[in-house]
Amino acid sequence: MAANTALKTPAPPPGTPQAQPADIQIDIRNLGKVYGGTSSDTMVVALDGVDLRIRRGEFISLLGPSGCGKSTLLGIVAGFQSASSGTLLQNGRPIVKPDPSRTVVFQDYALFGWMTVQQNVEFGLKAKGMAKKERAEIARSLIDMVRLTGFEEKYPHQISGGMKQRAAIARALAPDPDILLMDEPFGALDAQTRVLLQEEIARISSEAGKTVIFVTHGIDEAVFLADRVVVMSPRPGRVREEVTVPLPRPRTAEMRSDPWFVSTVNDLWETLKPEWQKGE
Amino acid sequence: MEANSKAHAAAPPFMQRAPRRAVSPRILTDRSFRAAMGLTAFFAVWQALTSLGVIDAFLLPSPAAVAGAMWDMALDGSLWVHLGASLQRVAVGFALACVVGMALGLMCGWWRGVADFVRPVVEALRPIPPLAWIPITILWFGLGDAASYFLVFLGAVFPAFVATYTAVRGLDRNQMNAALCLGATPWQLFTDVLIPASLPIILPGLRIALGVGWMCVVTAELIAAQTGLGYLIQQSRMLFQINNVVAGMVAIGLVGFAMSAVLERIERRVNAWAPSERN
Repeated sequence: MAANTALKTPAPPPGTPQAQPADIQIDIRNLGKVYGGTSSDTMVVALDGVDLRIRRGEFISLLGPSGCGKSTLLGIVAGFQSASSGTLLQNGRPIVKPDPSRTVVFQDYALFGWMTVQQNVEFGLKAKGMAKKERAEIARSLIDMVRLTGFEEKYPHQISGGMKQRAAIARALAPDPDILLMDEPFGALDAQTRVLLQEEIARISSEAGKTVIFVTHGIDEAVFLADRVVVMSPRPGRVREEVTVPLPRPRTAEMRSDPWFVSTVNDLWETLKPEWQKGE
Repeated sequence: MEANSKAHAAAPPFMQRAPRRAVSPRILTDRSFRAAMGLTAFFAVWQALTSLGVIDAFLLPSPAAVAGAMWDMALDGSLWVHLGASLQRVAVGFALACVVGMALGLMCGWWRGVADFVRPVVEALRPIPPLAWIPITILWFGLGDAASYFLVFLGAVFPAFVATYTAVRGLDRNQMNAALCLGATPWQLFTDVLIPASLPIILPGLRIALGVGWMCVVTAELIAAQTGLGYLIQQSRMLFQINNVVAGMVAIGLVGFAMSAVLERIERRVNAWAPSERN
């Protein structure tokens, strides 16, 4: 992974007009996304005037009901789609296309079904042109990190949903990205597996020291994991409020009963309730 | 279990055999055993109908007579010459159809714009049966191998196209995005993602294409060739060798069956990971 250290230390963008603190990694200003035609009745405003600055190493939860544009925002940060207006910078440079410095974990895992767990994790390393032996080694250590040792040679259809998502997390970490983008990664899992994986991701993100953007509609999950919860509201999607989480990291299970945690989750639920009801 | 035995006691006579079947369930549930049984029964009924005189042997020779005719042709080598000629033609035509059909299907599946132009043309040509192409084929290529290649190509190219197009259209957007954000090169995207993700749909399509191609080669040879199983049938008909006619038909059926079985085997291996191929 030493090969990637160059990506970790951001080259201070020479002569960039925006004066910004060096530790701002993702800079989103007045971002808008419009789908559909040009007339006002056919077009849908998915995002409107989104402003968000994300520091290096920060864990951000994007929280909101369905239709609030949080997944759209993630897709734009990933480079899968482009914004209709506004600016989006990574280390001072505009994001124009997908890049291994920003890898994505999908809700439906999106594992390559024809590859073993090992081959899936190696995919991004192979893309870099890394030698076979080296990438096998790195993949094995990542598989160990997500606790899948012993399942390297299994195919995705042979393992459980939780294991698939662990494999997908290892695959996303393999290219040693600066930023990990997670799109409702635990949405398809049962409640118990979800809680276990939340604790895993709390551990892994502290260990790996990545910037994480975590899209979710689970309030407790958002608060449990994040340094900062960015609450979004729908139609049009925009940032409604931000909650900074003072709990220390790594997060552990007992923090769920912390008075601050409990009251914050309740407060968020009370403020979000009307919107959730509207969305139903 | 007790409820079961009670049910048996009350069951009509034909259901009471169930316990006995449980003694040898493996052989009865074995799929190739069942296939062999089905074929054997088919030939047995056919043999019975002809040897009992229900069907005039001049209209339909018995399986034994057909086997004899086949054996004779195998010994004098003519069966192999004709079979070889047919196989060679279907191989060339099918290969051409795969190249053209898959390339076109890939382009149409990948680029919406290409599909908008190409698909109407394909969909308008597709309903024309290969038989209807024969006159113009002979006009263009004369009598010979080229005409057969072309007819096999026509039969096989559409299933190959449709399968490839459908497969590429149905690719999982998230898998593509996953590959892209992991830094996949265009070549890696093609060989490691697009191709393997498409094979579960493409391969069954190619199996169907080969089956159609095999039917087309025989059709072509009935009219536009001097060798091949189709020609064998046509020539035997003119010589009133009804046994050889049916022997040729049986050969076509068996070879087609074998080709399909082999391809299905390959499919199961290649697509072992895919949902539809599980169990």
